[in-house]
Amino acid sequence: MKRLINFLEVYFIPVAGKIGSQRHMVAIRDGFISIIPLVIIGSLSVLINNLPVTGYQTFMVSFFGEGWTSFGIYIYNGTFAIISLLIVFSISFNLALSYNEDPLLAGLVSFASFFILLIQADGNSFAISFRWLGSAGLFVSIFVALLSTEILVRLMQYTKLKEKNTEGMSPVLARSFAALLPTLIVLAFFSTIKIIFLLLGIENILATLYNFIQKPLAGMANTLGTAILLVFLSHLLWFLGLHGSNILEPFIQAMYLPALQENLQAFTTGATIPNIFTKPFFDSFVYMGGCGTTISLLLAFFIFSRKGRFKNLAKVSVAQGIFNINEPLIYGLPIVMNPIFLIPFIMTPIVLTVISYLSILLGLVPKTIAMVPWTTPPIISGFLVTGSMMGSFLQVINIIIGAIIYLPFMIMAEKADNSD
Amino acid sequence: MKTVMLVCSAGMSTSLLVNKIRVNVINKGLDLKIIAASEAEARSLNYEVDVLLLGPQVRYLAEKLRDLLGEQGTKVSIIDSISYGTLDGEAVLNQALALIEEDS
Repeated sequence: MKRLINFLEVYFIPVAGKIGSQRHMVAIRDGFISIIPLVIIGSLSVLINNLPVTGYQTFMVSFFGEGWTSFGIYIYNGTFAIISLLIVFSISFNLALSYNEDPLLAGLVSFASFFILLIQADGNSFAISFRWLGSAGLFVSIFVALLSTEILVRLMQYTKLKEKNTEGMSPVLARSFAALLPTLIVLAFFSTIKIIFLLLGIENILATLYNFIQKPLAGMANTLGTAILLVFLSHLLWFLGLHGSNILEPFIQAMYLPALQENLQAFTTGATIPNIFTKPFFDSFVYMGGCGTTISLLLAFFIFSRKGRFKNLAKVSVAQGIFNINEPLIYGLPIVMNPIFLIPFIMTPIVLTVISYLSILLGLVPKTIAMVPWTTPPIISGFLVTGSMMGSFLQVINIIIGAIIYLPFMIMAEKADNSD
Repeated sequence: MKTVMLVCSAGMSTSLLVNKIRVNVINKGLDLKIIAASEAEARSLNYEVDVLLLGPQVRYLAEKLRDLLGEQGTKVSIIDSISYGTLDGEAVLNQALALIEEDS
């Protein structure tokens, strides 16, 4: 056990730390985090159109008329449905900020660059398919944001070294001149790419890249194996005392937020909802009480703990635990580097991932279609993300199963604590 | 007045600790400002912070933040994980005070 931990400390933690603080990863993560309010509102405004309450539909129609659902759909169309447009700006903004360069300019230039690749030059009309503004365009959107910002930032830093003779100009004027050439080069670069693709006979860059890169990746993301692997890695990191969710966030957001948008898109059009694994799947069915499904551990403590220290800790932790915050428990119990809790801490979330997956696969629980803030208490969140009471029911079952897994280890921990 | 900033990934769990520290600050009659922030807020820091304490779960950010904020004299350190887990406001306050005293 000690040797394993030593091994992980030497080889695993530094790598994880590097990923967790790597500039582009952080920019992607913060880019996604910045748009979360729009994503949540966009998804909930579709959900209110379809609340599974008897008489709700008839009531709303009689009150607001047949077209009442447009209200929510419009909000969705302006938010979650154009996630690629939001993301290209937002990631670029955060990346430029990390370089201490003008984030607004970077965001605008990336936005423009994305449009350069996007526009379909079919004859005279400049039609943009709404599809590519949504999650289908996300791969290109992230790529453009990183590339365009990198080029722009380099050029800005270079011109800054050169320009000294701007005295007499107002700072705003000087800045706009300094920005002109770098902006031109970035836009020219993307226009050239567009032309090269056209020469290769590729009219729609986004569709091509979607089919060849994003779709296979998304297919891989939506398997039980990948889900288990991510949950395992995240908890291994937490066990070692690192913020696993935070380190893996760029991957999780980029893979499972588009999956949610596809679900929501299908939901609005009445098509079959495609994806089981989405961002809210993990937040609501697995990370209840925080990482390690520690709400189950709290339950086990409350029912079976006979020991002062543990019971007190559980009491202090419960108020935060309801809102899925558990750092005090993770470090205070502690769970970090505690061999007794290694097994249930990693096992519980994996078992619950499998159970939730099967429940949805068998059609007992509907697929997730909405997103809520990660601090939304369990039972409420289960209903909101699925739009069904079965979502809450699955959460209750999961919490109980988790408590059963934690129980023997909790008793062991108490015994070990006594003998100290 | 000196400012101490506590940072974790979303600024949620450190905000719990901040309240505990503030009680100790008032009891000791110190002239200290204690704030909690998310990681992103800490990186785009545009005001003076004397001591920045990281939650142990985001300790891998220390190096980058030191590079970023060291110039303006911000001291970056990591909160002791036991004090963090037990929300021991007094211990964390002492940790911050020790860092401030290094200066003077």
